[in-house]
Amino acid sequence: MGIRRAAEYMTGAAIALSVTAGTALAAAATEAAPAVEAATGGYVPMKPTPGIGMPTEGAIGFQQQFSEVGHDGQFMHNWVLMPIITLITVLVLGLLLFVMIRYRAGANPNPSRTSHNTLIEVIWTLVPVLVLVVIAVPSMKLLAKQYETAPKEALTVKVTGYQWYWGYTYPDNGGFEVISNMLPDDEAIANGEPAQLAVDKRMVVPAGEKIRIQTIGADVIHSFAIPSLWYKLDAVPGRINEKVLEIEKPGVYYGQCMELCGVRHGYMPIAIEALPRDKFEQWVLEQPGGSIGDPEENADETAAADAEAEDAAEATDAAEPAETGEAAATAA
Amino acid sequence: MATTAPESFPVHEDAHHDAHADHKPAFFQRWFMSTNHKDIGTLYLIFSIFAAIIGGGISGIMRFELQEPGIQYLTWWAEFLGNPAGDFDSALHLWNVLITAHGLIMVFFVVMPAMIGGFANWFVPIMIGAPDMAFPRMNNISFWLTFMGFCSLMMSAFMPGGTGMGAGTGWTVYAPLSTTGSPGPAVDFGIFALHLAGAGSIMGAINFITTIFNMRAPGMTLHKMPLFVWSVLVTAFLLLLALPVLAAAITMLLTDRNFQTTFFTPEGGGDPVLYQHLFWFFGHPEVYIMILPGFGIISQIISTFSRKPVFGYLGMAYAMVAIGVVGFIVWAHHMYTVGLSVNEKMYFTAATMVIAVPTGVKIFSWIATMWGGSLRFTSPMIWALGFIFLFTVGGVTGVVLANGSIDDNLHDSYYVVAHFHYVLSLGAVTAMFAGWYYWFPKMFGVWHSEFLSKLQFAIFFVGVNLVFFPMHFLGMNGMSRRYPDYNPAFELWNWVATRGYEIMAISIAVFFANIIYAIVVRKKAEGNYWGEGATTLEWTLSSPPPFHQFETLPVIDDKAGAH
Amino acid sequence: MEQSIAPDRRIDNIDEARRRNNRTGFIFLIVAIGMLGMGYAAVPLYRIFCQVTGIDGTTQRASEEQAAAVVAATGQHISVRFDGNVSGGLPWKFKPNQVKQDVVIGEKSLASYHAVNNSARPITGTAVFNVSPTQAGKYFNKIECFCFTEQTLKPGQEVEMPVIYYVDPAILDDPDARDVEQITLSYSFYESPKG
Repeated sequence: MGIRRAAEYMTGAAIALSVTAGTALAAAATEAAPAVEAATGGYVPMKPTPGIGMPTEGAIGFQQQFSEVGHDGQFMHNWVLMPIITLITVLVLGLLLFVMIRYRAGANPNPSRTSHNTLIEVIWTLVPVLVLVVIAVPSMKLLAKQYETAPKEALTVKVTGYQWYWGYTYPDNGGFEVISNMLPDDEAIANGEPAQLAVDKRMVVPAGEKIRIQTIGADVIHSFAIPSLWYKLDAVPGRINEKVLEIEKPGVYYGQCMELCGVRHGYMPIAIEALPRDKFEQWVLEQPGGSIGDPEENADETAAADAEAEDAAEATDAAEPAETGEAAATAA
Repeated sequence: MATTAPESFPVHEDAHHDAHADHKPAFFQRWFMSTNHKDIGTLYLIFSIFAAIIGGGISGIMRFELQEPGIQYLTWWAEFLGNPAGDFDSALHLWNVLITAHGLIMVFFVVMPAMIGGFANWFVPIMIGAPDMAFPRMNNISFWLTFMGFCSLMMSAFMPGGTGMGAGTGWTVYAPLSTTGSPGPAVDFGIFALHLAGAGSIMGAINFITTIFNMRAPGMTLHKMPLFVWSVLVTAFLLLLALPVLAAAITMLLTDRNFQTTFFTPEGGGDPVLYQHLFWFFGHPEVYIMILPGFGIISQIISTFSRKPVFGYLGMAYAMVAIGVVGFIVWAHHMYTVGLSVNEKMYFTAATMVIAVPTGVKIFSWIATMWGGSLRFTSPMIWALGFIFLFTVGGVTGVVLANGSIDDNLHDSYYVVAHFHYVLSLGAVTAMFAGWYYWFPKMFGVWHSEFLSKLQFAIFFVGVNLVFFPMHFLGMNGMSRRYPDYNPAFELWNWVATRGYEIMAISIAVFFANIIYAIVVRKKAEGNYWGEGATTLEWTLSSPPPFHQFETLPVIDDKAGAH
Repeated sequence: MEQSIAPDRRIDNIDEARRRNNRTGFIFLIVAIGMLGMGYAAVPLYRIFCQVTGIDGTTQRASEEQAAAVVAATGQHISVRFDGNVSGGLPWKFKPNQVKQDVVIGEKSLASYHAVNNSARPITGTAVFNVSPTQAGKYFNKIECFCFTEQTLKPGQEVEMPVIYYVDPAILDDPDARDVEQITLSYSFYESPKG
């Protein structure tokens, strides 16, 4: 175990160094990628960097953030909320210890009969109110920011939660749907990916631009959650939810379903791969029916591609759940 | 302050009662058809301890499963409970059944019966100087409904629930997982369990409200009632207003499941989110239902062992009223990620943070009560001090979670699990143990061991903090709730939490040892065994109190209000 | 602190006390039943609340006359995206014929969806719908929509399903919604329960 971990870290570090240079990255990834993937064309799944976009061993804080709301949220938590709540807890603990020592029966045999002090009661009502206002102001600002809507031309990805896998549809790019199932632990580890979090087909998006994520549940409620992007949005059947996602830089970001959705709730992870725009477009074109450009312009093409994509999706749809079962079973 | 009895209350009162009032009915009649509030209170306490063994045992299974990545014991347990051998899905289903059962048992069959059924039944009538509850027979029905609810929940574990035996919907029973997502009678039985327990609790609430409004002894005005009675009054109102909404919501679930209605399924234009609104309209007051009586118990204990009246009595009472009222308008903070609009989210963020104000008033008032007092560190006092600290920790993480912007990351993570266990498992349960040791000799007439009680506290305190504090880390690091398996990065803190559980389990063993000690040693307790400082009416009676107390109503003198 | 026992305060009028308790108990029983009723009433109330406020992306329904009375905002465009879903149990294909439309705010527009019944039996379906982002719901008006009624498709039948809508120019005055550049209209078809 230890040796494998070490190896993982080494590879990770090597890749981390090359992340900045797109070509080097591709080269490194090709080298490491399984042969099967190479057959599908230019796109090769990116190797994740250990500790980036995934939980860190024994960590006591948030995952490193890769979105603006993430940085803001983390700042708000670490530098506004944490100091305040730590202070309050320490204050209460300090007062408790003080009265326990100072007013123990041995030290203070005759209790006072004081049971009122209007001034102090007003103070301890008003001071918390002020503290809460201090918290509320940045909190509201941050909330408003999280709700900024995506621009018209933003890429739209429709995320569908199924029992128990995810589907990522790209309506602007021909309407194909990527069906994403969990990889069994041994395959994940062989790929250099984190156990329980790796998937066979990732949701691929461009980095550095606003993406309109729309979620919907196909059967029950799921929740599309990626901790390192400060992102969580429920996928509710019969209604579409929308929220902007902006990933700062290329990388692989893992998440999981975070709303109880049945037996395999724990076995439908999320992996988002953010790529530079050109690499993303290359990936799109490799998808069945994938297209780039204004959908109005190539409407005919879209219709044709639709059918194709759908058939492909259905085919995978039928095949994949069985595989998930295997994945889960091996995980055991 | 609600202190009513003088330190030198005439003891002949007890003798007077003992002389003619202690005609106890025969065993069956006494314990199965009981109409005596003290006997029913005892029944509730025994029931709660029994349910806690099951609910706590379940958490043990979960904790050991989670101590390392992978599925360790679930398949074995699934097979043991009658699922087909080697069926992986039924093992995972069992996990969901366990989280569901743990939640429902702890909420409806441990904390509520102990706090409201047990302590409130025992001491509300005594503290207000009433001979019994207003509706003694209904009191009995309440208990047996709760008991039957528990049976129904236990039965549901052995019914088909879709992918395996039992209801695996989570205690929140969200539609459509609980409707179209869970075929089989298990969920129906689970819902029925909630109906029964809910009906019992609503009856209990009516009973308490009537008792407190109508049966106070002469001179016992509302503003002289002990804070424990105040806490139960507020709790009873919360129950009365919140539980019927739950009953309606789960009845609609039942008809959605069985009679093709579409209240919560999109098929007929229903909305699954509406179920969540209804559930949390009940669910949020419910958490105050569980903690408010604890506040009351802590107030009595702190005052007793500081030998001082409670500081800011009116502020304390109305802080509870405020918590109760505000508790009804903050429900959607449990639903931040469901797709609320920004305005809704801002409102619920602001409203939720308001709760911190009355809660702060309570914490500071407890400390002010001790300030200038003469503190005796008896076992109930130590538990109460522990409560104040643990509840503060749980409370401040609540302020963090109240922020909709932060909750986007922490929602449904282990941080939330840590938060609500700090306020409930560490808060409410600590208050229950505090109340238990405060009143144990009063209820049963014999002493527990103070040493064992304090030992239990020390072990419990270390154990539960080890279980739940690391969960904050797990949640921030991204570990999701309700997962039987996880990435190895979470292993360390899960391992620590499981060790904490073992330590906590030892403290529970000490708890039972203490009961055995009391039974074996049978050291008699006097009427007011805590001495000066214990001023409420139960201390004017013998330990245990006579079967029928206050046939002659005590009169609380107007001049008594020395607060 | 003084307290005394008043021998004359025995509850001698037990019947009176009992009546009083029954009365109080009854009042609060009514309260409980009232709350139970409120639980059920929440279903229609929630629907009305959503329709009135447009909260949760509930769209509005407008008549031809209302639509005619709306003055289009000159030159102000907004993009409308279309989304179609079919619930797992319904053997239909259901897709928008256009991914998105660029429309003038306040002007009526026509969009359509394409539906096919792939099964060998006639099936009646109902569409549920909402728009995102949620704050746009209040301003999204449908004049005509296939979602207003149930739709029955014979085996193999293909139909075009139109929706006529406009975006209320009032959206431009709402600080929460005026920055919305694109509204998504989403439908999910379900088999009608008693179909």
